[in-house]
Amino acid sequence: MSAWAVWAMAAPEPPHGATLGGALEMVALGCIAVAVLGLLLVEFVFKSSMARSTYRWTLLLGLFVLPGVALMGTTGHMFESMKTVEACHSCHVMDPFVGDMHDPRSATLAARHYRSGAIPDKQCYACHTGYGIFGTVEAKRDGLRHWLLYVTDTWKDPLTYKGTYPNANCLACHATAPTFTRVDSHKALSTQLANDEMSCFTCHGLPHPARPTRAPTRVTAHP
Amino acid sequence: MNLTRRELLHYFGVTAATGLMGPGCIGWTREEAIPVDSWHKSVCRFCGSGCETRVGLRGGKVVKVEGLQAGWNRGRLCIKGLLNREILYVSDRAQYPMVRKDGQLVRVSWDEALDAAAAGFREAMAQGGPDAVAFYGSGQLFTQESYTANKLFKGGIGTNNVDGNPRLCMASAAFGYKSVFGADEPSGCYDDIEHATLFFVIGANMAECHPVVWERVRDRLRTAPETRVIVVDPRRTPTARDATLHLQIRPGTDVALLNAMAYELLRTGLVDPAFINDFVTFRKGTADSPPLTLEDLRAFLEDYAPEKVANLCGLSSAEIREAARLFGISQAALSFWTMGLNQQTHGVAANRMMMALHLLTGQIGRPGAGPFSLTGQTNAGGGVRDTGSLSHALPAGRVVTKEHDRQDMERLWGLPEGRISPHPGLSAVPLFEAMREGKVRAALVMATNPARSLPNADRYRVGMEKAFLVVSDSIFPTDTAQYADVFLPAAMWAEKEGVLSQSERRYHLVEKLVEPPGEARSDLDILVALGERLGHGALLKARTPEAVWDEWRMVSAGTTYDFSGMTYARLKELPGLTWPCPTEQHPGTCRRYVPGEDPLAKKEGRIDFYARPDGRAIVYLSEQGPFRESLTSDYPMTLTTGRRLEHWHTATLTGRIAQLKGIDIDYLEIHPGDAAVMGVKEGELVQVTSARGTVRLKALPSMRVRPGVVFALMHSTEHLVNAATSDYLDPTSAQPEYKLAAVRVERVKEGT
Ligand code: SF4
Repeated sequence: MSAWAVWAMAAPEPPHGATLGGALEMVALGCIAVAVLGLLLVEFVFKSSMARSTYRWTLLLGLFVLPGVALMGTTGHMFESMKTVEACHSCHVMDPFVGDMHDPRSATLAARHYRSGAIPDKQCYACHTGYGIFGTVEAKRDGLRHWLLYVTDTWKDPLTYKGTYPNANCLACHATAPTFTRVDSHKALSTQLANDEMSCFTCHGLPHPARPTRAPTRVTAHP
Repeated sequence: MNLTRRELLHYFGVTAATGLMGPGCIGWTREEAIPVDSWHKSVCRFCGSGCETRVGLRGGKVVKVEGLQAGWNRGRLCIKGLLNREILYVSDRAQYPMVRKDGQLVRVSWDEALDAAAAGFREAMAQGGPDAVAFYGSGQLFTQESYTANKLFKGGIGTNNVDGNPRLCMASAAFGYKSVFGADEPSGCYDDIEHATLFFVIGANMAECHPVVWERVRDRLRTAPETRVIVVDPRRTPTARDATLHLQIRPGTDVALLNAMAYELLRTGLVDPAFINDFVTFRKGTADSPPLTLEDLRAFLEDYAPEKVANLCGLSSAEIREAARLFGISQAALSFWTMGLNQQTHGVAANRMMMALHLLTGQIGRPGAGPFSLTGQTNAGGGVRDTGSLSHALPAGRVVTKEHDRQDMERLWGLPEGRISPHPGLSAVPLFEAMREGKVRAALVMATNPARSLPNADRYRVGMEKAFLVVSDSIFPTDTAQYADVFLPAAMWAEKEGVLSQSERRYHLVEKLVEPPGEARSDLDILVALGERLGHGALLKARTPEAVWDEWRMVSAGTTYDFSGMTYARLKELPGLTWPCPTEQHPGTCRRYVPGEDPLAKKEGRIDFYARPDGRAIVYLSEQGPFRESLTSDYPMTLTTGRRLEHWHTATLTGRIAQLKGIDIDYLEIHPGDAAVMGVKEGELVQVTSARGTVRLKALPSMRVRPGVVFALMHSTEHLVNAATSDYLDPTSAQPEYKLAAVRVERVKEGT
C-alpha cells in the first residue's frame, strides 16, 4: 500500500457531508475524463498545430500521469468505501450482525453503540480495526480473508471472531471516561485488560447476538 | 458456456485466492492472548446467579474462564466469575489433613485424620447420644455432597442436627414459599426478565450481588425504556441508580411498606378479583389456621394506610402510593429480593407479603410476572433447600415432623421404620449456642466459615472452641479452621464433580477438569470415608457423583420437585435444566404452576397451585411487629451489612486473589451529616458498638446511606463486622437479623 493511500485513509473526513471516499472518487473520475478528452483533442484536433515536444508531454500526461492519479484515486476510493457498513453488509453473511445493530430493541453492544450515536459512521470498521497503521493493514487483510471465504463459499456457521479481540479498541474511547475509571473492578483487572487476558465483553456482554441465537448465515437454497 | 452470477464470483474468488493473497491469508487468524488446548462447559462457583462458563485448559491447568454464549447469561460473567481461574491457584490452598496435637494442627495421613474425626464423633455420641453431633454445611457444596451428608446424619447417625449457612441467608424465603405455595423455590425463571414491564427490587443490591442477572434486567431497560424499576433499599446502591423510584426505606420496616402497598392496591381496585376468587385463600399465622376472607384482609390493612406507616418506614405516603400504583398498573411485575428481606426478624412475614402482592394482583404465572427470590450462594437452592439439608427438612420438600414424609425417606433409604427422628434438629444459630452450652459436642463443618459469618460471632466462637470440630475446606487457614480439631483439605469447583443449582431452579453439572492440590479430596469422598468409619458404610451405597445423583433423582420422583428426567447424560450435554423435569424428554420448566408449561400442573385454567391441598395459594395477614432491638440513647444508630461486587462472603477466596487486594473492604459508610456531628472525617477510625460487640472500621462519609444508618461490608477480613450484628432470629425461619442492629458509632481517638 502506498504511503499516499495510508495518508488518505488516516486523513480526517471532509466536513459538511462530503466524504473522503466521494472526493477520491471524483478525483479519479475527473482524471479519467480529462485524460480521455485531452487525448482525443490532442490527437484529432490540435496535433498538427502543436510542437512535437508539447505533443509528447501531453501524451505522457494523458496516457500515464492522469491514469496513474486516477488509479490512486480509485484505490483510495475503494479502501475508503470499504469502511462503510454498507460495504460489509454487501455480503449477506453479515445480515444477522448488521440487522441486529440496526434493531432498536437489541441490547447487544453493537446495537447500543449504534443507537447512542457514539460511533457516528463506519461502525463495523471502527470496532474491527486496531489502531495505527498495522491495525489498518490487519483489517484490510482480514477483510480480504472474509471476501475470499465468501466468494469461495468456504465459511463456516456460526461465524466466530478468530483470536482475541483487542480491548484497546474499547479502551481507546472509554479508558479516560469517569464511568470507566471509577469502577474498582476495572482498576483491579487493569493489567489483564491491558494484556487482553480478560475481555471487556465478558462483563459487558457480547457485541453481536450470541452464536446460538443468531440466524444461520447460509442461504438455505445453497446448502 | 453459461455461468451463473454465483459461479462467476466463485471463479473470481478462486483466482484471487491463489493469485493474490492465497498463501497466508485464508488460514491467517489473530492470536489468542491465552492459548487454550480444550474448552469445557462449567458454572461459576460464586453467587446464586449461577452463570454458565466455558473453561479453557492447558497443560492440566485452568487457564481461562469465559461466559458461555449458549448459557442463560449469554456469555457474561462478573469479575468474580472471571476469577474462578485464580481461586484454584491462590497460595493458601489446603493440601494436607491435619489433627490438633498439643494445641497445634499438625500434618497427618488421611487415615489418621479420618480416624481421629470418627473417634471424636463416637465419643460425643457416647456421652450425649446422636443429638450430641451435628453437620453444618453450605450452599457451596455440590448437591450430591449435601444430600449424602443429610442422609448420613439423619438416616445413619440419627440426628436432625443438619443445618448450614443457607439458614443465614435463604431460610425466610424458603419458609415463605413453602407456607404460601406449599412448595419452596421461585416459580419463574430468568426469561421472565425479557417480558417484565416493572421490576420491583426489594432488599437486593442486584447490581453488585447478582450482577449478571442485573445486566439482563438492564438489557430489558435498554431495549424497552418504558419498563419501570422500583428499588426498595435503605442505601442508594448501584442498583438504585437504575431505579425509576427509589424508596430509601428505614431498615426492618418492609412488612409495613408491603402492607401499605396492599392497602393501596385494594383501595384503588388495582387487584385481580377473578384470580383472588379462584386461586387464593387468606390466613393468619400458619397454613392450617382458620380461613379468612378478603374483607378480613381489608380490615386488617386499615392500620397500614400509607399515611399511617410513612413515618415508620421513613418514606412519604406519596412514594408508597406511587409504588403501589406502578405495581398495580404494570402489565407484568417481576419482584426480586434477597438478604435485605430475608435477614430480619420479620423475614418470613416480609416474604409472605411480597408474594401476597403478586397474588392479589394476579401478577404470577404469566411471562414477566412473579415473585422471584435470589439465592446468595451457588447451590443454596439445589444443594440445601431441595435436598432438605436443613434441620427441619427432608429431601424434596418433605419435613421431619410429618410421619408420612419420614416413612417415605426411610423406605427410600432402606432404613428401619422410626429411624429418622421426628424432632427438628438445631438450626444454625441455636446449633452453635448448643456447642457453647456443651450439648452439641462434635460437629462437621464443610465449605463454610461460621467463625466469621455467624452474627454475634464472638459468642459462638466460644462454642467452636469447646466442641470437637472437624472442618473441611479448600482454603487453609480460615477463621473456622483455627478452631478445628481435625482439618480435612477439600477439592473445589473444577477439581471435583457435582451438580449445582441456581436461583431459577436450573441444575448444572460441574465436571472434574483438573486435579486438586496436594492430598485434597472431594467433600463427597470425605463424607463417605467418615460414614464408613462411623459404621454407616452400607447406607452410603452411592459413592460416585453420578450414582448419588441417580439416587437423588429417584428420591425426587413423584414429588413436587421431580428431577427424574435430569439424567447425567443430559446435564453433560445441555447448559443446565430447570425443574420440574419428570421425564427424559421434558425440556425443563420455566414457569411453575402454569398448566401447559409445568408438567405437574394438571388442572385447567390460569394456574394450579398443586403443592397446596386445595390448589390455592395463601395470602397471610402479616403484622409488621415490634423491632427486636430498638434505638436508644446508648445505641442510637442502625447498622446494616451487605456485600460489594468484587468480593464474596467472608472473602476466604476473594480475599486471597492478588488483583482484589487493593479493593477496600474495611470501611463504614456513614451519612455525611452524622459524620459531621461526630466530627469524623473520611479515613478516620470509628468504633461501632452494639449490645453484643465492637468493630473498628474506617469512616466513609457517603450519601448512599440515609441519616441514622451505617453500613459495613460482611467481607472485612481485618475486622469482625459480625461481632456487632444481631443474632435475633425470625421466629418461623430461625434466620438471624443481620440487616438491623442498634449501634453506637464513635470516633476513635489516636492511640486508643
Ligand atoms: S454473577 Fe454470580 S454466578 Fe455470575 S459470574 Fe458473577 S459471581 Fe459468578
